[in-house]
Amino acid sequence: MPHDPNRQLQSRALQGMRAMTPLLPGIVPFGLIAGFTPVSFGFTWFDAWAGSLLMFAGASQLAAYQLMNESASLWVILLTVAAINLRYLLYSASIAPHLANADRLTRLLAGYGLTDQIYAICHRDYPTHDWDLQERVAYYAGGSCLIWGLWQACTVLGAFVGQIIPVFWSLEFMIPLTFLALALNTLKSRSHQTAAMTGAIVSFAGLTLPYNLGLILGGVAGIIAGVVHQRMRS
Amino acid sequence: MTEQFIWAVALAGLVTLFLKSAFIEGQHYFQLPQWFIDALEFVPPAILCALVIPGIFKGDVGLVREFGSVPIDPKPIAALIAAMTFLTTKKTVPTLLAGMASLYLVFWVQI
Repeated sequence: MPHDPNRQLQSRALQGMRAMTPLLPGIVPFGLIAGFTPVSFGFTWFDAWAGSLLMFAGASQLAAYQLMNESASLWVILLTVAAINLRYLLYSASIAPHLANADRLTRLLAGYGLTDQIYAICHRDYPTHDWDLQERVAYYAGGSCLIWGLWQACTVLGAFVGQIIPVFWSLEFMIPLTFLALALNTLKSRSHQTAAMTGAIVSFAGLTLPYNLGLILGGVAGIIAGVVHQRMRS
Repeated sequence: MTEQFIWAVALAGLVTLFLKSAFIEGQHYFQLPQWFIDALEFVPPAILCALVIPGIFKGDVGLVREFGSVPIDPKPIAALIAAMTFLTTKKTVPTLLAGMASLYLVFWVQI
């Protein structure tokens, strides 16, 4: 029956899962890394999983564990996590009108489940479909649950594998390598390159500063340099 | 699990949840100021590059901790090769493999 509301919501959830599927292979290596690198620092598998459960945001998880391993101060860890996750403010602002009338718990869960991937498919599909709130929530939930489950599974699997991999494999080095790939992927313009170079140089100059402050200074200097460069060009 | 670790992860989780749900939660959404959106563009390249640096220049990898140090730290060279791999392939997995392989190689030729 096409007008059975439950059937309809179920099919929206399935539709969300189907839309999410092509984006899943990309998160598998990342999830495994998020699981085994903390273990290579000496954290337990559960400690490694805690980041995936509580944060559910890949790049910032890697950063948090790397900084904890370097005994960075709590403020530096939180500022870095906030900086890496600032983009979610934009996603959240852009997706909010579509979920505004949902109840509190749904909105909170939607916030927790927000990822680059679910944002991408909802941002693409909400405006082109005439769905009511329930259908939009079902679509969001379908896609989110799928990626959440896979992310948790990959982290736990990675953490267990990490426990049996010997120290000399140096798997923790995959964290800076991952950031390197992510960073190089953002160099869309001269201004982005300026931001990146400045961030790297200031961070390098500040390597010996206490509490990993060089990292924060590098981030701030890089952002300013990018903005200034763009202003000067336009 | 140390108390410090629990605090760090729990607070990092709260910060993340706040950023993710700030606008979904708020009933009244307002437009983010344009200067903020402009600056946001440059947060990923700046912070990610700033993060790469200590990972490349600070501390010892497992190889060194296990087998002792070598004259030239293999991390920066491995990172350079990984960077060149990414710039040519635009793919993450080959980049990681190239970086790890060069790390082992640059360490191995020095022992």
